[in-house]
Amino acid sequence: MPKFMIWIAALAALIALPHGLSFSQQEILVFLTINVLLVASYRLLTLTGEWSLGHVVIMGVGAYTSALLTKKFGVFVPVSMLMGGVAAALIAVLLSFPLFRMKGFYFLIGSFAAGEIIRLLWKRFRDPFGGAKGIKGIDPMPDFSIGFYQFDFFEPTSYYYFAGFIVIICLWILWRIEKSPVGLTFHAVHWQDKLAQASGVNVRAYRTLAFAIASGFAGISGALLAHYVGTINPNAFDIDLMVFVLTWAIVGGTATFYGPILGCVVLTVINEIVLRELGLEQMRPLIYGAIMILSILFLPNGLESLVQKATQKRAGNGAAQRSPAE
Amino acid sequence: MISKFVGSGLSRRTFLKSSAVTALSAGLPGSVFAAGDTIKIGFLAPLTGAVAAWGKPGLDGCEIWAERVNAAGGIKLADGMHKVEFVSYDNEYDPAKARTGATKLIREDGVSFIMMLGGDTWPGVQPVADKTGMLFSTLLPSDLSPDTNTLIAPAEVHPIYNVTGVEWLAENRPELKTAVMCAQDDALGLPSVATYLAAFEAAGIEMLDEPLLFDPATTDFAPVVTRLISKNPDIVCLDTCYSDYVHPIAEQLFQQGFKGQIISCTADFYDQMIAKTSEEFMEGFIFQFPDFDDPALNADNINFSDPNGFYAEFNKRHPGQWGAVSWEYASIMDLWKAAAEKAGSADPDAVTAAMKDGGKGAHAFGDADWWGTELFGIDNALVGDWPVVAIEGGKARIKDFRSIPDWYAKHGDLLIKHMKAYDQMWDQRS
Repeated sequence: MPKFMIWIAALAALIALPHGLSFSQQEILVFLTINVLLVASYRLLTLTGEWSLGHVVIMGVGAYTSALLTKKFGVFVPVSMLMGGVAAALIAVLLSFPLFRMKGFYFLIGSFAAGEIIRLLWKRFRDPFGGAKGIKGIDPMPDFSIGFYQFDFFEPTSYYYFAGFIVIICLWILWRIEKSPVGLTFHAVHWQDKLAQASGVNVRAYRTLAFAIASGFAGISGALLAHYVGTINPNAFDIDLMVFVLTWAIVGGTATFYGPILGCVVLTVINEIVLRELGLEQMRPLIYGAIMILSILFLPNGLESLVQKATQKRAGNGAAQRSPAE
Repeated sequence: MISKFVGSGLSRRTFLKSSAVTALSAGLPGSVFAAGDTIKIGFLAPLTGAVAAWGKPGLDGCEIWAERVNAAGGIKLADGMHKVEFVSYDNEYDPAKARTGATKLIREDGVSFIMMLGGDTWPGVQPVADKTGMLFSTLLPSDLSPDTNTLIAPAEVHPIYNVTGVEWLAENRPELKTAVMCAQDDALGLPSVATYLAAFEAAGIEMLDEPLLFDPATTDFAPVVTRLISKNPDIVCLDTCYSDYVHPIAEQLFQQGFKGQIISCTADFYDQMIAKTSEEFMEGFIFQFPDFDDPALNADNINFSDPNGFYAEFNKRHPGQWGAVSWEYASIMDLWKAAAEKAGSADPDAVTAAMKDGGKGAHAFGDADWWGTELFGIDNALVGDWPVVAIEGGKARIKDFRSIPDWYAKHGDLLIKHMKAYDQMWDQRS
């Protein structure tokens, strides 16, 4: 099957998907779509070898910026979402000055501290951030019609299409960045930083660039969340959610573009749909933790390694089938 | 779903009807019942995580309530008797998950009423409530505002009832003159801080320091307690800390040698606190939530049916799990049942009208008034007497019932002053 046919079939499946789900599963699909962008943006940062504990707070920067721009200044929601991403990227650039004096474990802890400072600022300054209660009554995306389809953004299906469109564009940009010379340099900064530096690469500048780009897309995911749920507060962007993002990335694997996305999708479906449907609602933290430990023990390279094995096997079978004819 | 392609503009009423039809077509009862159908009630609260102590015991209490009601024949509506059943959704105290849960309970399970803890989760649910017209209850009236027409706070007026503990303490232990306070910096902690500040000011008790607000992610309370008791206060107030905080703070107070008075909104699982400290240390600990085997709850003015039997059954099934909310959601169901039977219908609008008829309601601790315009912008909180509880000989005992409206009539201006200082008035919330 030609490659573009596969993409068209995948797109058709994504469009049809919410119609096969229950109302609550459609709601979960919206949050899953937003989280896919969050975890994919996180992977871009990990390309340079740095793991941050502040990524979710940066997501919150996008959410707060977009919410305040619409609430205080009446900015059109899609524009405010974009501004949310820009603000998150700018904050990341500011944070990069102290943070990229550190590497590895120190960067990890430093990013956590920086994130906590931002969260405490949201709590401390009730005006404009709303303090501990945060901001509520955030303007939703305004409804509109495209002739054959009426977008009512209270409905999860409509928001899924809107968020899905944004997320697909963002994923495409992230993919293009990774495959560009800039993306290859990110890899070089991770695996051969001394060599890259000796070759004239400004390692710190590239780390900052990766941090800013990843943060920009995380900011957009935060804005998408804020305008759907209608409320945000500092606790919504705390270390608990960050642990989930790390878990998705670790369980999915970060060697491939799709690894963290796979982790996010599989774990969300297990946690939010399968375990709830099985009546194990109150056992979920226990089972979720067990799944994580088991996957680390038995799938150290993540879920993506299963896909890689399957595709390699298929490729091997294809080659074997072709060889007699040859 | 197909209708999305041809038009829009669902009203609340058509939305509810379409949801009911969807639920019925899926083989589930909706808001429209046939005689004998089971009435489903939604329970949307945290059942896991740090706030689970204010959700899970409530669900356990509701299960006992349902068994008792069903054993007595069920709920009598105009078309006959109906059994009642609870459908729960763990919102993990997350607004996004609360929205998902509300959608599931209304549009898939066809519930007639949804009980919530409220707080951070209510703003996520409010658009669903506005769109569907579903009746919700909260334990936290600070969720109320003039635009929350379908939200009621019929069980507790958190944090206003905390004034009764301070008032009782000031009258019975007049030698206590100074206090300090700590709370988690969130939607539950801050209005409670404002309330305690008003209560201490009304009682003439001096605050030695600004309230110490700690992050909800705090796990090490040694420095918090060290700072709290550094000024030698007579009273340490634990505000409305979650039980995950009350326990380690009490333990630290014990370990750091505090000998004074402790007052707290809750003391869930206080037997565990006694085990971690000592009976002597916990003696006289003041809080606001009684055990329901208390003889004072057998008085004629108490509207909760067979509180002692309920408590015994709860402890038989869930030993050591009795907490502040174990009876509260069940007491809300008492009110809802009475209103539904009076209206002859489970329709949210009809039940609300019947519940608020005459401006009075049968609260668990005695008849009370629908109240709240000044503080919340809407009269959707049921307010009356509230018990003051002290630990004596290792057991919680009701010391007195105090009237919240009477306190408010004398000191309401102080409460409003402190609520405004903490941006907690309904017109100050973002």
